Amino acid sequence: MKLAADRILGLALIGLAAFAAVQAANLQIPFSYEPVGPKVFPIGLSMMLAALSLVLVFRPGENGHWPDKALMLKLLAVLGALVIYALLFTQLGFFGSTLLVVLVLARLFEATWLKALLAAVLMALGSYFLFTQGLGISLPRGYWLSDFA
Amino acid sequence: MFDFLIDGFGVALTPLNLGLAFLGAVLGTLFGALPGIGPINGIAILMPLAYTLGLPAESALILLAGVYTGAEYGGRMSSILLNVPGDAGAVMTTLDGHPLAKKGLAGPALGLSAVSSFVGATIAIIGLTLFAPLLAEVAVMFGPAEFFALMVFAFSSMAVMMGKDPVKTAIGAVLGVMIAMVGVDSGTGVLRYTFGMAELYDGIDFVVMIIGLFAISEILLMLEHANRQDASDEMPPLGRVMVSFKELAYCKWTMLRCGLIGFIVGVLPGTGASVAGAVSYTTEKRISDKEGTFGTGDMRGLAAPEAANNASAAGSFVPMLTLGIPGSGTTAVLLGALMLYNITPGPLLFSERPEVAGGLIASLYIGNVVLLALNLPLAGLFARVLTIPRWVLVPGIAILAFAGVYQLNSDLTAIYLMLIIGVFGYLLRKLGFSLAPVILGYVLGGLMEDNLRRALSISGGDLGILWQSGISLGLWIAAALLLVVPWLMAKLLARRSLDGV
Repeated sequence: MKLAADRILGLALIGLAAFAAVQAANLQIPFSYEPVGPKVFPIGLSMMLAALSLVLVFRPGENGHWPDKALMLKLLAVLGALVIYALLFTQLGFFGSTLLVVLVLARLFEATWLKALLAAVLMALGSYFLFTQGLGISLPRGYWLSDFA
Repeated sequence: MFDFLIDGFGVALTPLNLGLAFLGAVLGTLFGALPGIGPINGIAILMPLAYTLGLPAESALILLAGVYTGAEYGGRMSSILLNVPGDAGAVMTTLDGHPLAKKGLAGPALGLSAVSSFVGATIAIIGLTLFAPLLAEVAVMFGPAEFFALMVFAFSSMAVMMGKDPVKTAIGAVLGVMIAMVGVDSGTGVLRYTFGMAELYDGIDFVVMIIGLFAISEILLMLEHANRQDASDEMPPLGRVMVSFKELAYCKWTMLRCGLIGFIVGVLPGTGASVAGAVSYTTEKRISDKEGTFGTGDMRGLAAPEAANNASAAGSFVPMLTLGIPGSGTTAVLLGALMLYNITPGPLLFSERPEVAGGLIASLYIGNVVLLALNLPLAGLFARVLTIPRWVLVPGIAILAFAGVYQLNSDLTAIYLMLIIGVFGYLLRKLGFSLAPVILGYVLGGLMEDNLRRALSISGGDLGILWQSGISLGLWIAAALLLVVPWLMAKLLARRSLDGV
């Protein structure tokens, strides 16, 4: 058998279906008058998922275009930037973390340093005022600011 | 019987709602024009904002519906000018739209597409006004068994109409339903798939799900397009953005026919603008393409999908408002937005919350006129949007996504969850899945289970109740026919063409 993306997906989904079914089967259910409890639907779905995934395993479609190594690295970099944005969101506050992430993302999407820096300052300032002043959304101010206040 | 519409205009014509309809139309056109950001992304990004602003339900819905219909207008821009569909509904628009632009007719093409969009949408909004209250009256008779059958019908019509890969459509829908299972089971209070995380007890939040699945995965996908050559520097000149009466007369039957087709496809639960565009284009090609000019810049080939995709947007509100079953991926998102307001659309919406149903329909009339008025003179301005570089667009989406999700509960777990769902969405899209079934499954999953369990507890566990009534039996048969007939047709056609050889 050729190793196609759809085959891997099919096998992974069968694993997911089995996991979901076992989880559902192990639910501890208090006594209830209902004829259909909370187990039936998830188990039924798992069986459907497994059956459909079997079709994928035996009749996989085209493989599609998968990112090459350079693109893969960029993808991971973008994801990494987003995770770090999340990590710093409350630490640095909305303004600081946004400034950083716009700079990094703009660079990853092929802006020059000058353009990226300009975008970062303008977008961080603009969105900060739009959210806090315009829309009244409360955003994290960051721990370092609260030390001064 | 049109009291609801008169009341609706009363709602829609208040300054706030009028302003929101206008804002929605402008933002929607912008979102539609930006490649990669379709109506769903636009709504996903705006929904948390509308919610925190404390807008009443009908106002939020008017804004979001304006974005939806506006995006169907905006989607044509990049299709015609750059040969890159702005959203899924505008894929067919590229076939004749771009050749027209290459002939130097970009302006007339934009003008024609605006008018055909308007005609298609008008047909469908009138259809919506006429049919929705009627359907709501029938739907009042629906019990849990009928609703369950209806959802089965919705999923099977989706599996058929989404074409390409029915297995993946079905898998997507099942995955969506499974995601909806996370959280406290409403019947018994049992925790399902929460893995001891308190944040998951209420299930995966709708906003987190939508923004992750669409906006975050879009950011990852854009990276790929960024690396290919940037199309935006070869924009053809617009010329006059006006369409002559001669051109309109040439396309009038096309517009009317395709508006009707689009409306019907839109009403069918589970199928949206992309299907409407494809069905209308192929039908119109069969009917009027006598000289074989479709695909080379035929005006009718442009008018057909444009009339149809806007008609389907309005048409998909019919099942959403009357049955609580979304007619398309985007209305599934709108349905979820209403659920945030604790409004479950369904047969009682017209009698219990007429301001929501009527206000929305009235605002569609208003929005449609606003869109035509905006799109004819300002097409050149909107076309400018296409030149926004990705290094501005992507950080912008990221900021809106993070702020929108964070302000839900001021908690970071939601953001991490959003990122995980984003990667999941990216993988699905790379594997050739469409996300509409996933979101439809996610929105309908809980309702489907509730209705099944309610039906079976009425009957004491007897499965017969599921197809006892005429309505539910009819829906089961319709669902079965939908699945079997196309397959049979394909077999028959294959045999006939073999005989012919």
